Amino acid sequence: MDIIISNSSNQPIFEQIKQSIKKAIATDELKENEMLPSIRNLAQDLRISVMTVKRAYDELEQEGFIKTIHGKGSLVATKNIELLKEEQMKEIEKYIDKIILISKSSNISKKEILDTFEYLYGEED
Amino acid sequence: MENILEVKNLCKKYNGFELQNINITLPKGMIMGFIGENGAGKTTTIKAILDIIKNYTGEIKIFGLDNKKYDKKIKEDIGVVLDDMFFPEILTPNDINTIMKDIYKNWDSKLYFKYLTDFSLPANKAIKTLSKGMRKKLEIATAISHHPKLLILDEPTAGLDPIARNEVIDIFQEFIQNEECSIFISSHITTDLEHIADYITFINNGKIILEKTREELLEDYGIVKCSKEDFEKIDKKDFIKYKKSKYEYEILVENRKAFNKKYDINTIDKITLEELMVLMIKGEK
Amino acid sequence: MLGFIKKDLLMIKSNLKIFAILLLIYIVMAFQGQMDLSFLLPFMSVMVMISTFSYDFYNKWDAYAISLPNGRKNSVKAKYLATIILIIATTIIITILSFTISYVKTKTIDFENIIPTMIGSLFATVLIQSFMYPANYKFGPEKARIVLITIVFSVAIIMGVVTTYVDLSPLIKILDSISAYWLIAIPISMILMLYVSYKISEKIYNKKEM
Repeated sequence: MDIIISNSSNQPIFEQIKQSIKKAIATDELKENEMLPSIRNLAQDLRISVMTVKRAYDELEQEGFIKTIHGKGSLVATKNIELLKEEQMKEIEKYIDKIILISKSSNISKKEILDTFEYLYGEED
Repeated sequence: MENILEVKNLCKKYNGFELQNINITLPKGMIMGFIGENGAGKTTTIKAILDIIKNYTGEIKIFGLDNKKYDKKIKEDIGVVLDDMFFPEILTPNDINTIMKDIYKNWDSKLYFKYLTDFSLPANKAIKTLSKGMRKKLEIATAISHHPKLLILDEPTAGLDPIARNEVIDIFQEFIQNEECSIFISSHITTDLEHIADYITFINNGKIILEKTREELLEDYGIVKCSKEDFEKIDKKDFIKYKKSKYEYEILVENRKAFNKKYDINTIDKITLEELMVLMIKGEK
Repeated sequence: MLGFIKKDLLMIKSNLKIFAILLLIYIVMAFQGQMDLSFLLPFMSVMVMISTFSYDFYNKWDAYAISLPNGRKNSVKAKYLATIILIIATTIIITILSFTISYVKTKTIDFENIIPTMIGSLFATVLIQSFMYPANYKFGPEKARIVLITIVFSVAIIMGVVTTYVDLSPLIKILDSISAYWLIAIPISMILMLYVSYKISEKIYNKKEM
């Protein structure tokens, strides 16, 4: 699993860890019930503070992506694919909101947007 | 015992300098960075924790035990690197091993010599022949070779080049792999602490002016850069300190996300410890 | 405790070469009959121990020592114990050397001269060190050296003045008459001096701002 951390990014380090792990789950690089590295280990390997990793793990757990078994460590939770999809849908919705906002403010029609979307999507596919 | 180190209302008066009501809490398994300018009181605080100085007031508990009453018991489990204080320099790393074997119950000669090899330190040369960086490494090797539970380090990376600093930080993180162990580390080289410290305690002029988790400080705090007009629109309650320069205002805010929601100012960055120090000390309110 | 004593002895060891050379020079001089060897004893052990104080001071060992288990209690005690070990060692070496030189030169061992001189030197050593150590802990090695020089000079001057202007023969008579007790009185007074000096040093050390 790759976890790439950028110090210059305005995104918090714990957020970057979360996203790397989510990505690994989504691409099935991390399988269901697979153990994640221990908090301390990961902190050492990434040369970051224990609290930072803990925050990332805690939030991943709250969001249902991983579960922590006391004394054992953290592992990838089941049913995470739907969760992940849902999560990503939310992300997409955010962008769509922005598209709508911009198109309304500049009088671009829904059809024009959909055409553009289809054009770009088809070409990239 | 959840806290490895607890300092309550520590006060100490010197001629022309005063430590005022220092409070520090370091939980088990964590690294605390103790930052401040030279002369802010870092070394004095550390000397009080170790009961090296006299006539201070307040309560200091290490491993839940009073630092004066349980002096010997506590010190068996502490490793220290003190700024400028060490073995007489005519002794050799070998001599240190011979001496420490009889001082610490848990002294681990094997581990000590392993560190000497790892750091490429000569065992038979007098300390005075070592470079400043090598000497620091020797001090660090000496501090951790009795499997301590608490490391108290005063400027442990001063005088080290970037490569050596990296090696040393690796050792500190290795040390913390054991959840029972903690590190209290003072430094004015803030970049060393920026990533590895879990807590940041900031001392200025003998007073603690900030004690936060790294996460709160470096992920939530922010530095806003804006024009004078924008600055005048901002509510005084919404920032901690500000500094004005010729072309811009730099404003320290506690939560950059919240600030971003409230104001329409776009340049909000994460803060570095260095910027934080400068703004806290030089900034106005 | 043992570790702290070892530290002082190891420091002495690192200066051993210089003292071996010194010893050699004095042996040569003794063979030529230019100098009484016994004087080496106070000279050497005082010099060696003072050099340890200087190194301790320079590298702030005393503050560091307190961060070690039992450091505050043991570091002064160890200094005195190391001193006693050093004095015993140098006394044995110098005594054997003196006997040997005496035997080589005259085919007899001059016990009557050597032993009193040895005891005298030993006494002087303990006396100087008993003054020096508290001074070292109180003022640091630089100023303590001045204290040492002042003591030595004033004692020499007083002795000089007393011996020239005062008739000491009655006193010498008295001292001669109780000479049998010296064997007990000297060691006891030496131990007492060291003990008092140790207690004073300890008190100074415990009150000191490091």
